[in-house]
Amino acid sequence: MITCIYKLNYIVLSKNIDMSTVVIMPKQGQSVESCILTEIPKKVGENIAKGELLFAYETDKASFEEFAPVGGTILACYYESGDEVPVLKDVCVIGEAGEAIAAKAEAATVPVSEQEKSAAMVTGQNVIVSSENSFVSPRARALAAKEGIDISGIKGTGPNGRVIEQDIVTWMASKPKITPLAKKKAADEQLCTDCSGSGLGGSITSKDLKQPSAFAADDYEIKKLSNIRKLIAKAMFNSLQNSAQLTHHLSADARQIMQLRKVIKKAVDEGYPTNITLNDLICYAVIKALKKYPQVNTHFMDDSLKYFKKIHLGIAVDTDRGLMVPAIRNADDLSIQGLSNQIREIATACKNGSVNPDLLSSEAATFTVTNLGNYGVEMFTPVINLPQTAILGVNTIIPRPKELGDGVYAFVPHLGLSLTYNHQALDGGEATRFLKQIATEIENLTIEF
Amino acid sequence: MSKNYDLAIIGGGPAGYVAAERAGHKGLKVVLIEKGELGGVCLNEGCIPTKTLLYSAKLYDNALGAEKYGVQAKEVTFDFGKMMSRKEKVVRKLVGGVGLKMKEHHVEVLKKEAYIKGRSATGIAITAGDEEIEATNLLICTGSEAFVPPIPGLGTPNETILTNREILQLKELPASLVVIGGGVIGMEFASFFNSLGTKVTIVEMLPEILTGMDSEMSVMMRQIYTKKGITFHLASKVTEVKGIEVIFEKDGKMESVSGDKILVSVGRKPVTKGFGLENIGVELDRGGIKVDEKMKTNVPNVYAAGDVTGFSLLAHTASREGEVVVNNLTGRNDRMRYNAIPGVVYTNPEFSGVGLTEEKAKEQGIAYRMIKLPMAYAGRFIAENEGGSGLCKVIVGEKYGEVLGVHMLGNPSSEMIYGASMAIEMEMTLKEMEEVVFPHPTVSEIFKETIFGF
Repeated sequence: MITCIYKLNYIVLSKNIDMSTVVIMPKQGQSVESCILTEIPKKVGENIAKGELLFAYETDKASFEEFAPVGGTILACYYESGDEVPVLKDVCVIGEAGEAIAAKAEAATVPVSEQEKSAAMVTGQNVIVSSENSFVSPRARALAAKEGIDISGIKGTGPNGRVIEQDIVTWMASKPKITPLAKKKAADEQLCTDCSGSGLGGSITSKDLKQPSAFAADDYEIKKLSNIRKLIAKAMFNSLQNSAQLTHHLSADARQIMQLRKVIKKAVDEGYPTNITLNDLICYAVIKALKKYPQVNTHFMDDSLKYFKKIHLGIAVDTDRGLMVPAIRNADDLSIQGLSNQIREIATACKNGSVNPDLLSSEAATFTVTNLGNYGVEMFTPVINLPQTAILGVNTIIPRPKELGDGVYAFVPHLGLSLTYNHQALDGGEATRFLKQIATEIENLTIEF
Repeated sequence: MSKNYDLAIIGGGPAGYVAAERAGHKGLKVVLIEKGELGGVCLNEGCIPTKTLLYSAKLYDNALGAEKYGVQAKEVTFDFGKMMSRKEKVVRKLVGGVGLKMKEHHVEVLKKEAYIKGRSATGIAITAGDEEIEATNLLICTGSEAFVPPIPGLGTPNETILTNREILQLKELPASLVVIGGGVIGMEFASFFNSLGTKVTIVEMLPEILTGMDSEMSVMMRQIYTKKGITFHLASKVTEVKGIEVIFEKDGKMESVSGDKILVSVGRKPVTKGFGLENIGVELDRGGIKVDEKMKTNVPNVYAAGDVTGFSLLAHTASREGEVVVNNLTGRNDRMRYNAIPGVVYTNPEFSGVGLTEEKAKEQGIAYRMIKLPMAYAGRFIAENEGGSGLCKVIVGEKYGEVLGVHMLGNPSSEMIYGASMAIEMEMTLKEMEEVVFPHPTVSEIFKETIFGF
């Protein structure tokens, strides 16, 4: 069982050499050059059954799992969890217990040592290696062992990023000196040595040790950010740093779409195949509005505005792995049924981690819809997925007083709409007219089914 | 037209000349203004002349006691005048050496009276005699002077009443000497004149001499010198001086003692007046210039080092303070630490200490352990100190065994105490100290012996 639905497009995942099977890092999407290994549950020497999880990995957009193509013993594993592995590189070898690993590795397309070198070259200088067959010189390893140093944090400066003895020496020299008393006291009283030294030559003395602050006692746990989290963090920060974004809020009379939804529900109960949701209807209305406002269906390119001939609608999907925004390509070609189906499929793929990473690129979409209405959010300021020009936040439906004519007022359900736009690309008037157009489309939406 | 400097230093004592040397070495453009001789009190009327004289006295002591070592020295005499002129020669040689060092490090020395005019566009405006100086940074090292307390009859030094300055200019050995103040300066002069046969009386206001040093050893020291013939009047407050008579109150009774000469050595006070300090608004604290741990005053770019800050009053503190200033000016983050400054009384035997005394540890509520050993535990001490006694005391932290204080009475403790300073500076604990190899046979082994006592 293999979760990756795009795998078929790419190269075979394993090479059989004699009896053993070499499993390589799959290539996920055209733009992916390397993946981060996030989990390798089995160790070298352990047995694995066919179909069992062999390793999990992440691209910069999504997570994937790789399952053992054959059963057997893991004879070799060339990387560790956390390593960045170039695509199509050998990750591990499954074979019969007792088979000589070296012989098998040599039998692979490239010798192990060569693979290591190329891996280092691809992934840059700071390849983190601390396993047996890693990039640490014996002298460096011996010194590190003697000094009780964890090599994994040390950047190698030797050939191909190899950690050499001098790297260990340099690392030790860069550590602030600490007096014997301060060392003992810090260990004994759980004091913080992360402080500046006031002693001889700047060494940390017992007086410099900091009491861990009350708020930073032992009631926390530091967890490394997942690759996806890091990318979201970077993208969000970049967006706010590099654009002039602001948000307009407006609400649309929701009676029409609520009526449509009611009709659909009834039809579904009677066997209609597509359960078109409120969000689908709103996206459908947005596409209609975008067609009338091509200046919003754009990418802001600093010195130019890229007008798209087609509408590629980004849909924000909340997953366990983090926020993903896959694009529904050519959404303007789709019927409401087609749109509904595609949104459902792609959201499921995101949640399973099997979405095509290429569709997650912010450049794959021309405009994005993010819907927090389900959660009861009344108003928010979504962050633009640069280089897109705008993003629509959809809020919950709230009854608001509305004049129905002849001085008659009634509470009418209203759908809140929050449009964040890049003022570099659009002006307030245009943005407001576009937002108003979305409201109008929603208020007057009709569908065929 | 004024001359511009990176650093102007007022005062050429151990703070000023060391700072000038270091700054010049680092490439700063430095001017050192000194109205008297280079070297300050230390070289001219303090550390160096007294140690020179004390060495003469020690030689005389040793010659007199040579028989204990199987050496016959008959008709041992001394020439006070020669001792004084040799002292002068040593001082001149060292003062000359400081001058050469200044040249070597391109420090401009102005033998003139400095006056701070105020802040200027580029820093601080100073005059040195008739010269106009502009300096980006100013270091004040004007030092201290002997404090003569307002006691009737004391007034300004004269034929009879002397401070450290006048007593070093004596032409003849006085038959008797009254020392008011049994601190380090008083004890060293008392030791010198006692060795040469002067009848010495010490009048000390506090209950014990050498306050601040280890009190047990201070008592031992007093006992040693009582045996040598010095009379001590402790807890005695001088109320009046009448000619050669010193009148003091002891146990509620008035007593008096006479001496051909009277040495006033009750303390020293920072020199903060007469050179325009007030023109830049430098803040004072208890008479001295207030500084932070980088020796910065409250005025930007104005620093102070040495006795003028009013606390340590030691040449080696002053030099280090000067170095702290230069380090910070030249991009090295440095700060002054006072917890490991050794103090030595150059009596015979020498008395040295660094770090906390037991009294201080108690006062500060620091939990400690203490071990003391007679100096005789070091073979070399027995070999060289026939009939002599001494003590080594090591104080360590209760919990971690870090060296907090080391005190030694015995020769040559002045040369060994720096080892303890390093241990304290580096916060070494007993464990690390135990791994240090000491040369054998040396008196310094007493330190190791004591460490292993814990």
